[in-house]
Amino acid sequence: MESNVHTMATPKQETGNFMRSYSRPRKSGASAWWLQRITGLALVVLTVGHYILMHYNPQSGHDYGETASRLASPWFKGIYLGFITIGMYHGLQGIWNIVRDYKLKPIVGLSIFGVLVVAGIIFVAMGWNTILTFDPAKP
Amino acid sequence: MAYIPPREPFSAWNRLIMAYRRFSGSWAYILHRLTGIGLVVYLFVHIWALSSLTKGRAAFAEEMVTFTSPPFKVAEWLLGALVMFHAFNGIRIALVDLANGARYHKKLLGAVWVTGIAVVVLMFFLIFSSELFAK
Repeated sequence: MESNVHTMATPKQETGNFMRSYSRPRKSGASAWWLQRITGLALVVLTVGHYILMHYNPQSGHDYGETASRLASPWFKGIYLGFITIGMYHGLQGIWNIVRDYKLKPIVGLSIFGVLVVAGIIFVAMGWNTILTFDPAKP
Repeated sequence: MAYIPPREPFSAWNRLIMAYRRFSGSWAYILHRLTGIGLVVYLFVHIWALSSLTKGRAAFAEEMVTFTSPPFKVAEWLLGALVMFHAFNGIRIALVDLANGARYHKKLLGAVWVTGIAVVVLMFFLIFSSELFAK
Protein backbone atom coordinates (compact mmCIF):
# COMPACT_ATOMS: atom_id res chain seq x y z
CA MET A 1 0.00 0.00 0.00
CA GLU A 2 1.32 3.35 -1.00
CA SER A 3 2.08 5.56 1.91
CA ASN A 4 1.71 9.29 1.76
CA VAL A 5 4.01 9.94 4.72
CA HIS A 6 6.69 11.43 2.51
CA THR A 7 4.35 13.74 0.64
CA MET A 8 2.49 15.01 3.70
CA ALA A 9 2.79 18.70 4.37
CA THR A 10 5.05 19.50 7.26
CA PRO A 11 4.50 22.60 9.40
CA LYS A 12 6.76 25.37 8.26
CA GLN A 13 8.46 28.00 10.29
CA GLU A 14 6.08 30.93 10.22
CA THR A 15 8.39 33.61 11.59
CA GLY A 16 9.20 36.33 9.14
CA ASN A 17 6.96 34.88 6.42
CA PHE A 18 5.18 37.71 4.64
CA MET A 19 2.59 35.24 3.36
CA ARG A 20 1.57 34.23 6.87
CA SER A 21 -1.49 36.41 6.92
CA TYR A 22 -2.75 34.52 3.88
CA SER A 23 -1.90 30.96 4.92
CA ARG A 24 -2.83 31.39 8.60
CA PRO A 25 -5.34 34.20 8.79
CA ARG A 26 -5.31 36.01 12.11
CA LYS A 27 -8.10 38.43 11.42
CA SER A 28 -11.63 37.22 12.00
CA GLY A 29 -12.87 38.80 8.77
CA ALA A 30 -15.95 40.07 10.60
CA SER A 31 -15.69 43.60 9.23
CA ALA A 32 -15.51 42.27 5.65
CA TRP A 33 -18.49 40.02 6.43
CA TRP A 34 -20.53 42.97 7.73
CA LEU A 35 -19.49 45.19 4.82
CA GLN A 36 -20.59 42.47 2.38
CA ARG A 37 -24.08 42.43 3.98
CA ILE A 38 -24.36 46.23 4.20
CA THR A 39 -23.16 46.89 0.64
CA GLY A 40 -25.29 43.97 -0.56
CA LEU A 41 -28.48 45.41 0.92
CA ALA A 42 -27.67 48.84 -0.54
CA LEU A 43 -27.00 47.22 -3.92
CA VAL A 44 -30.39 45.45 -3.89
CA VAL A 45 -32.02 48.88 -4.11
CA LEU A 46 -29.37 50.43 -6.39
CA THR A 47 -28.99 47.55 -8.87
CA VAL A 48 -32.66 46.60 -9.21
CA GLY A 49 -33.51 50.31 -9.43
CA HIS A 50 -30.76 50.88 -12.01
CA TYR A 51 -31.92 47.93 -14.12
CA ILE A 52 -35.54 49.08 -14.15
CA LEU A 53 -34.56 52.74 -14.70
CA MET A 54 -32.45 51.81 -17.73
CA HIS A 55 -35.15 49.60 -19.29
CA TYR A 56 -38.55 51.01 -18.42
CA ASN A 57 -38.73 52.23 -22.00
CA PRO A 58 -36.52 51.49 -25.02
CA GLN A 59 -34.84 54.92 -24.93
CA SER A 60 -34.15 55.38 -21.22
CA GLY A 61 -30.89 53.44 -21.09
CA HIS A 62 -29.71 53.77 -24.68
CA ASP A 63 -30.26 57.40 -25.61
CA TYR A 64 -27.55 60.06 -25.25
CA GLY A 65 -30.01 62.84 -24.47
CA GLU A 66 -31.73 60.93 -21.66
CA THR A 67 -28.36 59.96 -20.18
CA ALA A 68 -27.19 63.58 -20.37
CA SER A 69 -30.34 64.87 -18.65
CA ARG A 70 -29.87 62.37 -15.80
CA LEU A 71 -26.18 63.22 -15.44
CA ALA A 72 -27.05 66.92 -15.16
CA SER A 73 -28.15 66.24 -11.58
CA PRO A 74 -25.33 66.30 -9.01
CA TRP A 75 -27.40 63.92 -6.85
CA PHE A 76 -27.49 61.36 -9.66
CA LYS A 77 -23.74 61.76 -10.20
CA GLY A 78 -22.99 61.34 -6.50
CA ILE A 79 -25.21 58.26 -6.15
CA TYR A 80 -23.65 56.68 -9.22
CA LEU A 81 -20.07 57.34 -8.05
CA GLY A 82 -21.00 55.46 -4.88
CA PHE A 83 -22.85 52.79 -6.88
CA ILE A 84 -19.77 52.01 -9.00
CA THR A 85 -17.52 51.91 -5.95
CA ILE A 86 -19.59 49.73 -3.66
CA GLY A 87 -20.68 47.54 -6.57
CA MET A 88 -17.07 46.83 -7.48
CA TYR A 89 -16.13 46.32 -3.82
CA HIS A 90 -19.01 43.88 -3.24
CA GLY A 91 -18.29 41.98 -6.45
CA LEU A 92 -14.56 41.59 -5.94
CA GLN A 93 -15.02 40.76 -2.25
CA GLY A 94 -17.44 38.06 -3.39
CA ILE A 95 -14.94 36.66 -5.93
CA TRP A 96 -12.23 36.69 -3.26
CA ASN A 97 -14.63 34.88 -0.91
CA ILE A 98 -15.09 32.14 -3.52
CA VAL A 99 -11.31 31.95 -4.19
CA ARG A 100 -10.63 31.56 -0.47
CA ASP A 101 -12.84 28.45 -0.37
CA TYR A 102 -10.18 26.60 -2.37
CA LYS A 103 -6.95 25.78 -0.64
CA LEU A 104 -4.60 27.47 -3.06
CA LYS A 105 -0.90 27.93 -2.56
CA PRO A 106 -0.19 31.31 -0.95
CA ILE A 107 1.58 32.60 -4.05
CA VAL A 108 -1.43 31.73 -6.24
CA GLY A 109 -3.97 33.15 -3.80
CA LEU A 110 -2.01 36.35 -3.28
CA SER A 111 -1.54 36.77 -7.04
CA ILE A 112 -5.30 36.48 -7.58
CA PHE A 113 -5.82 38.97 -4.75
CA GLY A 114 -3.40 41.40 -6.42
CA VAL A 115 -5.13 41.06 -9.80
CA LEU A 116 -8.56 41.68 -8.19
CA VAL A 117 -7.36 44.79 -6.34
CA VAL A 118 -5.57 46.29 -9.36
CA ALA A 119 -8.46 45.52 -11.75
CA GLY A 120 -10.93 46.96 -9.24
CA ILE A 121 -8.99 50.21 -8.85
CA ILE A 122 -8.51 50.62 -12.62
CA PHE A 123 -12.18 50.01 -13.45
CA VAL A 124 -13.55 52.16 -10.61
CA ALA A 125 -11.26 54.95 -11.84
CA MET A 126 -12.58 54.39 -15.39
CA GLY A 127 -16.18 54.62 -14.18
CA TRP A 128 -15.52 57.75 -12.08
CA ASN A 129 -13.72 59.30 -15.05
CA THR A 130 -16.75 58.63 -17.29
CA ILE A 131 -19.12 60.34 -14.86
CA LEU A 132 -16.90 63.26 -13.83
CA THR A 133 -15.57 64.21 -17.27
CA PHE A 134 -18.90 63.72 -19.07
CA ASP A 135 -19.60 66.75 -21.26
CA PRO A 136 -23.18 66.83 -22.64
CA ALA A 137 -22.27 69.51 -25.21
CA LYS A 138 -19.67 67.35 -26.96
CA PRO A 139 -20.91 66.43 -30.46
CA MET B 1 -1.03 -7.16 -1.00
CA ALA B 2 -2.33 -3.75 -1.92
CA TYR B 3 -5.94 -2.97 -1.20
CA ILE B 4 -7.70 -1.83 -4.36
CA PRO B 5 -10.94 0.02 -3.52
CA PRO B 6 -13.96 -0.73 -5.72
CA ARG B 7 -14.31 1.70 -8.59
CA GLU B 8 -16.73 4.55 -7.95
CA PRO B 9 -19.74 4.50 -10.26
CA PHE B 10 -19.56 8.27 -10.73
CA SER B 11 -16.83 10.64 -11.72
CA ALA B 12 -15.65 13.28 -9.27
CA TRP B 13 -17.78 15.91 -11.02
CA ASN B 14 -20.88 13.74 -10.86
CA ARG B 15 -20.36 13.03 -7.18
CA LEU B 16 -19.91 16.72 -6.49
CA ILE B 17 -23.17 17.55 -8.24
CA MET B 18 -25.08 14.62 -6.75
CA ALA B 19 -24.03 15.73 -3.27
CA TYR B 20 -26.00 18.94 -3.75
CA ARG B 21 -29.00 17.74 -5.69
CA ARG B 22 -31.38 17.03 -2.82
CA PHE B 23 -31.43 20.46 -1.27
CA SER B 24 -32.97 23.55 -2.80
CA GLY B 25 -30.80 25.68 -0.52
CA SER B 26 -27.65 24.08 -1.94
CA TRP B 27 -28.76 25.01 -5.43
CA ALA B 28 -29.42 28.55 -4.23
CA TYR B 29 -25.87 28.63 -2.84
CA ILE B 30 -24.37 27.49 -6.16
CA LEU B 31 -26.58 29.81 -8.21
CA HIS B 32 -25.74 32.76 -5.96
CA ARG B 33 -22.04 32.21 -6.67
CA LEU B 34 -22.49 31.65 -10.41
CA THR B 35 -24.75 34.69 -10.82
CA GLY B 36 -22.29 36.71 -8.71
CA ILE B 37 -19.36 35.77 -10.94
CA GLY B 38 -21.46 36.56 -14.01
CA LEU B 39 -22.45 39.97 -12.63
CA VAL B 40 -18.83 40.91 -11.81
CA VAL B 41 -17.74 39.97 -15.34
CA TYR B 42 -20.65 42.04 -16.68
CA LEU B 43 -19.71 44.98 -14.41
CA PHE B 44 -16.23 45.16 -15.97
CA VAL B 45 -17.64 45.01 -19.51
CA HIS B 46 -20.32 47.57 -18.58
CA ILE B 47 -17.87 50.15 -17.18
CA TRP B 48 -15.55 49.68 -20.14
CA ALA B 49 -18.36 49.92 -22.74
CA LEU B 50 -19.96 53.01 -21.20
CA SER B 51 -16.66 54.92 -21.12
CA SER B 52 -17.63 55.93 -24.67
CA LEU B 53 -19.94 58.51 -23.04
CA THR B 54 -16.91 60.79 -22.70
CA LYS B 55 -16.33 60.66 -26.48
CA GLY B 56 -19.52 62.56 -27.25
CA ARG B 57 -22.94 62.04 -28.76
CA ALA B 58 -21.89 60.52 -32.09
CA ALA B 59 -19.58 57.86 -30.65
CA PHE B 60 -22.21 56.88 -28.06
CA ALA B 61 -24.98 56.64 -30.67
CA GLU B 62 -22.77 54.50 -32.89
CA GLU B 63 -22.08 52.09 -30.02
CA MET B 64 -25.76 51.92 -29.08
CA VAL B 65 -26.65 50.67 -32.58
CA THR B 66 -24.92 47.41 -31.59
CA PHE B 67 -26.36 47.31 -28.07
CA THR B 68 -29.96 47.80 -29.23
CA SER B 69 -29.77 44.96 -31.78
CA PRO B 70 -32.03 41.95 -31.01
CA PRO B 71 -29.32 39.58 -29.66
CA PHE B 72 -28.09 42.22 -27.23
CA LYS B 73 -31.65 43.01 -26.13
CA VAL B 74 -32.25 39.34 -25.32
CA ALA B 75 -28.92 39.23 -23.45
CA GLU B 76 -29.90 42.37 -21.54
CA TRP B 77 -33.20 40.80 -20.55
CA LEU B 78 -31.44 37.59 -19.40
CA LEU B 79 -28.96 39.71 -17.44
CA GLY B 80 -31.98 40.87 -15.46
CA ALA B 81 -32.56 37.25 -14.38
CA LEU B 82 -29.05 37.15 -12.86
CA VAL B 83 -29.63 40.51 -11.16
CA MET B 84 -33.02 39.57 -9.71
CA PHE B 85 -31.94 36.14 -8.44
CA HIS B 86 -28.77 37.51 -6.85
CA ALA B 87 -30.59 40.50 -5.32
CA PHE B 88 -33.57 38.60 -3.88
CA ASN B 89 -31.47 35.65 -2.72
CA GLY B 90 -29.14 38.22 -1.15
CA ILE B 91 -32.07 39.54 0.91
CA ARG B 92 -32.74 35.94 1.95
CA ILE B 93 -29.10 35.50 3.00
CA ALA B 94 -29.26 38.70 5.05
CA LEU B 95 -32.47 37.50 6.75
CA VAL B 96 -30.89 34.11 7.54
CA ASP B 97 -27.74 35.77 8.90
CA LEU B 98 -29.16 38.77 10.73
CA ALA B 99 -32.76 37.83 11.52
CA ASN B 100 -34.54 34.56 12.25
CA GLY B 101 -34.47 33.53 8.59
CA ALA B 102 -33.01 30.08 9.28
CA ARG B 103 -36.48 29.04 10.53
CA TYR B 104 -38.24 29.95 7.29
CA HIS B 105 -35.49 30.05 4.65
CA LYS B 106 -37.27 27.54 2.39
CA LYS B 107 -40.35 29.75 2.29
CA LEU B 108 -38.05 32.70 1.60
CA LEU B 109 -36.50 30.77 -1.28
CA GLY B 110 -39.97 30.19 -2.71
CA ALA B 111 -40.59 33.93 -2.45
CA VAL B 112 -37.23 34.58 -4.16
CA TRP B 113 -38.24 32.44 -7.14
CA VAL B 114 -41.78 33.83 -7.39
CA THR B 115 -40.70 37.49 -7.09
CA GLY B 116 -37.70 37.00 -9.36
CA ILE B 117 -39.66 35.30 -12.14
CA ALA B 118 -42.46 37.90 -11.85
CA VAL B 119 -40.01 40.81 -12.22
CA VAL B 120 -38.15 39.13 -15.10
CA VAL B 121 -41.43 38.49 -16.95
CA LEU B 122 -42.49 42.10 -16.31
CA MET B 123 -39.14 43.35 -17.65
CA PHE B 124 -39.69 41.28 -20.80
CA PHE B 125 -42.73 43.43 -21.62
CA LEU B 126 -40.86 46.66 -20.86
CA ILE B 127 -37.65 45.80 -22.76
CA PHE B 128 -39.46 44.47 -25.83
CA SER B 129 -42.32 46.99 -25.69
CA SER B 130 -41.35 48.60 -29.02
CA GLU B 131 -41.38 45.19 -30.75
CA LEU B 132 -44.45 43.81 -28.97
CA PHE B 133 -46.69 46.87 -29.16
CA ALA B 134 -45.54 48.26 -32.51
CA LYS B 135 -48.07 50.53 -34.16
